[in-house]
Amino acid sequence: MGQMGFFTDTTLCIGCKACEVACKQWNQLPDDGFRLTGMSFDNTGQLGASTWRHVAFIERPEALPGQGSPLDGAQLADGAFSWLMMSDVCKHCERAGCLEACPTGAILRTEFGSIYVQPDVCNGCGYCVTACPFGVIDRRTDDGRAWKCTLCYDRLKEDLVPACAKACPTASIQFGEIGELKERARQRVDHLHERGVGQAYLYGADAANQPGTEGLHAFFLLCDVPEKYNLPPDPVVPTKKLGESWRAMAWGVAGLAALAVGSVLSARSGP
Amino acid sequence: MSENSTTQSRYIKSYEIRRAYQGGVQYPPAISGVQGASDIPTLYDLLPGYLHMPRAREEELTLERYVDSGGARRGWWVHFPKYIVSLLKAWYGEAATRENDFGFAWLPQLTGNHSHMTTVADMADGKLKGYFVMGENPAVGSMNGALHRKGLRKLDWLVVRDFPLNETAEFWRTAPEIARGEVRTEDIQTEVFFFPAATHTEKDGSFTNTQRMLQWHHKAIEAPGDCRSELWFAYHLGKRLKAMYAGSSLERDRGFQALTWEYPVLGPHAELDTEAVVKEVSGFTVADGKPVPGFTKLADDGSTACGCWIYSGVYAEGVNQAARRKPRSQQTWVAPEWGWAWPANRRLLYNRASADPEGKPWSERKRYVWWDEAQKRWSGYDVPDFVADRPPSYRPSPDARGLAAISGIDPFIMQADGKGWLFAPSGLLDGPLPSHYEPLESVIPNPIYPEQQCNPARDEYPRRDNPYHLPYDDPRFPYVLTTYRLTEHHTAGGMSRWLSWLCELQPEMFCEISRELARERGVENGGWVTIRTARAEIECRALVTDRFKPMRAKGRVVHTIGLPYHWSYVGRVTGDPANELIAMVADPNVSIQESKAFTGNLFAGRLSFGRRAATDGVELRQPEPSREQPRDKPGVQSPLRIPSQEPPR
Repeated sequence: MGQMGFFTDTTLCIGCKACEVACKQWNQLPDDGFRLTGMSFDNTGQLGASTWRHVAFIERPEALPGQGSPLDGAQLADGAFSWLMMSDVCKHCERAGCLEACPTGAILRTEFGSIYVQPDVCNGCGYCVTACPFGVIDRRTDDGRAWKCTLCYDRLKEDLVPACAKACPTASIQFGEIGELKERARQRVDHLHERGVGQAYLYGADAANQPGTEGLHAFFLLCDVPEKYNLPPDPVVPTKKLGESWRAMAWGVAGLAALAVGSVLSARSGP
Repeated sequence: MSENSTTQSRYIKSYEIRRAYQGGVQYPPAISGVQGASDIPTLYDLLPGYLHMPRAREEELTLERYVDSGGARRGWWVHFPKYIVSLLKAWYGEAATRENDFGFAWLPQLTGNHSHMTTVADMADGKLKGYFVMGENPAVGSMNGALHRKGLRKLDWLVVRDFPLNETAEFWRTAPEIARGEVRTEDIQTEVFFFPAATHTEKDGSFTNTQRMLQWHHKAIEAPGDCRSELWFAYHLGKRLKAMYAGSSLERDRGFQALTWEYPVLGPHAELDTEAVVKEVSGFTVADGKPVPGFTKLADDGSTACGCWIYSGVYAEGVNQAARRKPRSQQTWVAPEWGWAWPANRRLLYNRASADPEGKPWSERKRYVWWDEAQKRWSGYDVPDFVADRPPSYRPSPDARGLAAISGIDPFIMQADGKGWLFAPSGLLDGPLPSHYEPLESVIPNPIYPEQQCNPARDEYPRRDNPYHLPYDDPRFPYVLTTYRLTEHHTAGGMSRWLSWLCELQPEMFCEISRELARERGVENGGWVTIRTARAEIECRALVTDRFKPMRAKGRVVHTIGLPYHWSYVGRVTGDPANELIAMVADPNVSIQESKAFTGNLFAGRLSFGRRAATDGVELRQPEPSREQPRDKPGVQSPLRIPSQEPPR
């Protein structure tokens, strides 16, 4: 079975939120309550235990390069504006913090390369929540267990595309074999650069691009710094630093031991 | 491009002119179903296939005179008699004979403007007994909702068919005037019947999109409980009415008695067999009941019947052509075997224009329809929309009649001269060329015609319960208001405000304003505001955004307030409805409301008392302006004014 994932091209997102609704319907997720956030047209706010796709609306006082006509440029001089939209999702990291932090073995990597939480094994300890550098996985307040995007594991088993990608009307969310997706994504970046959108770049496409996660199975094409999209600029899976921590501790212990031995010896050889 | 204003037809005409030049401009209707509801209309002034509704006047009282008023001596409309006679044969069957004008006199006749707003005004004046509301929620979606509810209160009976118990069905229980105690439920005499409706997945049927393409949908599941389709409702209601009128000897009931109403029914609920309706719509020869291949085979002698001539052929060869779903890999890129498009399965209208006067494609790369010299016929990827064997070199003689009058270089065969019209001297009710007029309520004088402020052909409803602001510069109402829809909700909310997954995405009524206006009025992002017009006042949250910018017009700063209109008093999420703010005023051609531009005021905080001009909110109009500002040039008499004609008590 191939390694599958998402390529989310934010330049194509129109903010229709069809992915959010399709995800909730297929996975039968509850609503998050009915409150106006005041943050543009985004009333979901963030990914959570019952929101596995989230469309961010970012209002910027900057023009979006490569769009509009010269006339727009003249008008924008006094009030530049652009609306960035991005459908966020679990990144299914190559090196997954949640998986490495899970003490019960509830979180596993599937044959599709995705990270899956087994609800019947999860005991709700919440270690995974703090271990995710993106703040994706979350516990549901009613049953305490941790939930997140499954990459529609049940659909993949039936050769179906994940619900969000199926519902996306503009192919902003593309699903496929990761190698092919990366190739397509790089071509898209080149194409955008040719068209004058110099800002376009890939976020988390591979280990070289994002060493802290060793690359994402759900990566993004962005047009501004990651922070604008509420993404960490340099995410690092906590367990990634485990070896370093042990080494540091070993040096510390060794140092203390040396100090102890040294002090005894120096006491003995004292005057 | 969709505009709701008193100058709507002018916008459309502008786009039509652009289309005549360039081709390819689509006019997308606001709601799925608008195309189909115009083709086989729910409009008061049209019969199926854009044949006009006969008017109650001397010139149209007989079939012959009606045909004279609608047919043409040149162009495609010479076939008009075939279409009306076939329609009458479809409706009245054997009872329609040449001797009785095929039952033409049984058709209802128009006595005036019976558009939606006029009907509402008549209702409020106590002139209507009953009202059917199917798949609409006018208490939320119509202008001046309080006036509409006033009308509903004066009915004897009201029938609402929808998925949820919406505001129109609940007007007697949850409306703001009830909450304010101005109207008491026990005083309302209207008998309300609510029928739960089946959704599109629970019934067979078709959608017609703006490309005029019919696509069939098959029933996936049985409708639950008492939910039934509109077809079921109309059919069984018709059967009961026919039974009621069966014994009548009144001449005016002859039409009801003659109406053909026998259709096969299916399933446990006796739902109509929709294919039988498609067959009637498509047309058949009366003698043997065989489907006709298309409207070219319709006749004006009563030998054919057809429920809608433009849809003729959708059941050609006894096959439901709209249900075809051949994959694109198995046909040309025009995909003529996916669904079916009227007329005659043409995917692009007037496609002869894709070839130059000599009949060669303007562009080889975009070749679509062309003249095939070897075959002496028009050919192409699409069905050519032209006389099939008319060479580009053909020129009509000056006294030519009918289609013979169409030159080989004139693609617009529905017009008498075959040309696309930039200047349309007939047909439109408000002028042959687009022009600019300010909306009924504006903040500036008309910059182009200083003396003629508004569309001189608008329809006004001057009534105490429908007060208008000054044409411009009204000190009480300094801001421009506009209404629109959000992606997450569907129009008046019947299909979305009861679904939690959509409600959480847009949970509350809000207005959108610029940072500058927020500063001017002391409004915070997410805070409450009150919006007021002479008709109503509402409360909502404010969304302060850079997407709204003040404009400078005629030397002054103009602020715009954006209002989505989906919310109202019942449903999973509720909020004040924006349309309560809007006055009833209409464009003359299609009687559309002016909801895209009007004036109002905005205050920070929750200051609304829920007042409505149509009930006790007379103080909304205060202070009454001391000056008169004309909307029209002196002497202009063209606006249609439909004042209140409430019978004296």
